[in-house]
Amino acid sequence: MKRRTFFLGLAGLAGCTRQQKPRLNVYIWSEYIAPSTLETFAREFGVHLHHSIYESNEELLAKVFSGNSGWDVVFPSHYFLKPMRQQGLLAPLDAGRLPVLGNLAAELQHPAWDQSLDWGLPYMMGAAGVVHQQSVDAQAQSWDLLWREDMRGKVTMLDDPADTIGAALLKLGMPLNSTHPQALQAAKEALVAQKRLLRAYLNSEARQQLVAGELHASHLWTTTSLLAMDDSDALAYYYPREGFARYADCAVVLKESTRKHLAHEFLNFLLRPEIAAANAEESFTTTANEAARTLLPQELRDSAALYPDAATLARGQWFEAIPPDAQRLRDRIWTEVKAR
Amino acid sequence: MTPAAGGLRALFLAPAWLTMAGLFLLPIAVVLAYSFLTRGAYGGQDLPWTVESYIRMWDPLYLGILARSFLLAGAVTVLCVPLAFPLALFIARSGRHKLLWLNLVMLPFFTSLLVRTYAWMFLLRDTGLVNTLLLKLGVVAAPLPLLYNDGAVIVGLVYSYLPFMVLPIYATLERIDLALLEAAADLGERPWGVTRRVLLPLARPGILAGAVLVFIPSLGSYLTPDLLGGGKSILVGNVIQNQFTTARDWPFGAALAIGLMLLVLLLLRWWEARGGGELG
Amino acid sequence: MSSSRPTRLLRASAGLVLAFLYLPLAALMAFSVNDSAATVWQGFSLRWYRELWQDSSILAATANSLLIALASTLCSTVVGTLAAYALWKQRSRLLLSTVYLSLVTPEVVMGVALLALYQAVFRFLDIRLGMHTVILAHVSFSISYVVLVVLARLRTMDATLEEAAMDLGATELQAFYRVTLPGLAPAIAAAALLAFSISFDDYVITSLVAGVDSETLPMLIYAKARRAISPSVNALCAVIVVVMGSLVLLAQRLQER
Repeated sequence: MKRRTFFLGLAGLAGCTRQQKPRLNVYIWSEYIAPSTLETFAREFGVHLHHSIYESNEELLAKVFSGNSGWDVVFPSHYFLKPMRQQGLLAPLDAGRLPVLGNLAAELQHPAWDQSLDWGLPYMMGAAGVVHQQSVDAQAQSWDLLWREDMRGKVTMLDDPADTIGAALLKLGMPLNSTHPQALQAAKEALVAQKRLLRAYLNSEARQQLVAGELHASHLWTTTSLLAMDDSDALAYYYPREGFARYADCAVVLKESTRKHLAHEFLNFLLRPEIAAANAEESFTTTANEAARTLLPQELRDSAALYPDAATLARGQWFEAIPPDAQRLRDRIWTEVKAR
Repeated sequence: MTPAAGGLRALFLAPAWLTMAGLFLLPIAVVLAYSFLTRGAYGGQDLPWTVESYIRMWDPLYLGILARSFLLAGAVTVLCVPLAFPLALFIARSGRHKLLWLNLVMLPFFTSLLVRTYAWMFLLRDTGLVNTLLLKLGVVAAPLPLLYNDGAVIVGLVYSYLPFMVLPIYATLERIDLALLEAAADLGERPWGVTRRVLLPLARPGILAGAVLVFIPSLGSYLTPDLLGGGKSILVGNVIQNQFTTARDWPFGAALAIGLMLLVLLLLRWWEARGGGELG
Repeated sequence: MSSSRPTRLLRASAGLVLAFLYLPLAALMAFSVNDSAATVWQGFSLRWYRELWQDSSILAATANSLLIALASTLCSTVVGTLAAYALWKQRSRLLLSTVYLSLVTPEVVMGVALLALYQAVFRFLDIRLGMHTVILAHVSFSISYVVLVVLARLRTMDATLEEAAMDLGATELQAFYRVTLPGLAPAIAAAALLAFSISFDDYVITSLVAGVDSETLPMLIYAKARRAISPSVNALCAVIVVVMGSLVLLAQRLQER
């Protein structure tokens, strides 16, 4: 059928193949949902589920900013809920239609950014730490590894101002969300000093280079690190002792959606433990769904990277939406670091 | 030119005017309006009207980035000419196979820019083809750091925009009267002399058009510098893009964009005054 | 005729430049039939092509990209050629400046500007982003390339030919159609090829103005490639090169008849 659609499309008839079934448009991070989830939902609810992928919150925001994007459900990180709400892009969630909210992990039942889950349904949790070749330094526990002279040309940092300025702040013993100009200035100097040691600022691309042994250490998201470690036994991952950044990606219903009822059905469907487990297994991520965790295969359920112990979690800090002035300063600092 | 050309000319121009006005001038007017607004608290733009964005532009930080971008785009353009000229000349001379060669030049460009850029990452990385060959041949002892520097960015941009130089040069050369060249040869000019003294001056309009077509996208590019430069160097295109995405400062991004456009226009004027009369 | 044939030096240098153009593609194609996902050769295999064929999103995106590129090329080539001809007859500083201005506009600005415009229009009409918005955007940026390429060719042409035709009784339109247009054919073909490749290639503007059902190949490749260099993307690229190459050769055969 899909292939037929393809050829019809070539003949310029793409418009004629639209299904008459109700549809739901879902825009999500790449490799973040199990194909079976999408198929099961489409079958069970008799809908046509269209989905597509993005790679960054910025990409998502640019896309839905017009309020005419056509998407129904999207998955911003928690600290993007506030700006998206301020722009009038989000529809409030109807808790009455989400009866199994209790399946969520305890710390996500009343998160600081959305006390009563009015706007976003936590879907996955994530964090950024350091992934490195064990041969380099099996004992490494600090951000300092990424600033070490002997790593010259073999380290990468994330190409993301929030994450990377955040890492520099944490390294210097300051809070992740510091907005004080002096703190940010110090972070800038640390990053400038580090730059001559850096191979590049990379996100997901670092994965292959780590596996190939081209890189010695990278500031990277847990998920990406685990994907790399799945391909290479030489790699190890840690959450630096100075602290690390945490985020939660949330399912939200866009205000522009004309299918809010169906969108809620989808959110509720994602809360089912077996569905949430399948998604977490597929994407190597930390599920926000406590009930799903017990259904995961042993090695995922017990992974210290995905489900750190309480002592480690105590060092984690959630990203916060930054006030405009600090945001502007951060942007300038990021530009300055890059321009050096 | 001819007085009679009036009616037809208007008819021929109308669709182009309609498109340019509706899909270019109007959107640019919107950007111009944005550049005089204030950044909204969490993105977007708000009243009051202000010139603050234009004042912020004079920061040495942004001027430095602009200068670097000009240098890089200039290097790309200059490198494209000696690469494109022999190819265009060869195609123009290849008789009935012209179209075949022309298509061969265009073919790589039917593939995605992104994949082409990745192909270079593929070649230039530590375990890439180039380094593997160099290591095998014993030329180097350790992989060379070929990727994630300005050289890689320049190679990637030259690769991306070379056809923009080849096509206009070809279009001009193809029209050149062969009799001219034969006359030059009959007068005892060697092939190189013919090329230098006859062909190059005649191909000038094509080279200048090509230079514009290469320089400008290079100046505004951000995908290639980002991927091949590893995000370590920032060009004016990246700064503008960042304002619309990461920094969510649309008015400043809009002001930078307008500033860049004005600057390029000034440059074109200068170019024209220097003898690039064909540039409009 | 000696100087009008390519010399050995010219052949060699043209060959080198062509090699430069094809080297990265050859590498991609070679690794698309590699049995391993790594960049180390591990033997011949078509597994990535099988994977490609089973990926319905790639097929749908390809169909979208082709449709968008064909539609926008057709529009921009016709409109651009007519405009170039009119500009050749009599310059219009205003239109030419507009054409150049559109060329100097960074892609990202053009994308955001179009998005902002659409947003404003949508306020009054119930339209969403989709194929139509992408096609319009592509027309807007490819017209300028068509105008420049065709105009560069026109400027090397002899204007007196048309006048002669009109002296002999041809109307303006006939003079254009019978005298100028045939001579322009190679330039128009080149312009159309350029417009097609730019449209097929565009990521920045497309990604901003595309809607739910108008995901193009570059958008898909970007999303896939940001994760990792995937041999199935290499395979996709190889398929495009081979299919396009055959089409281009076929078109040329037909022309030579």
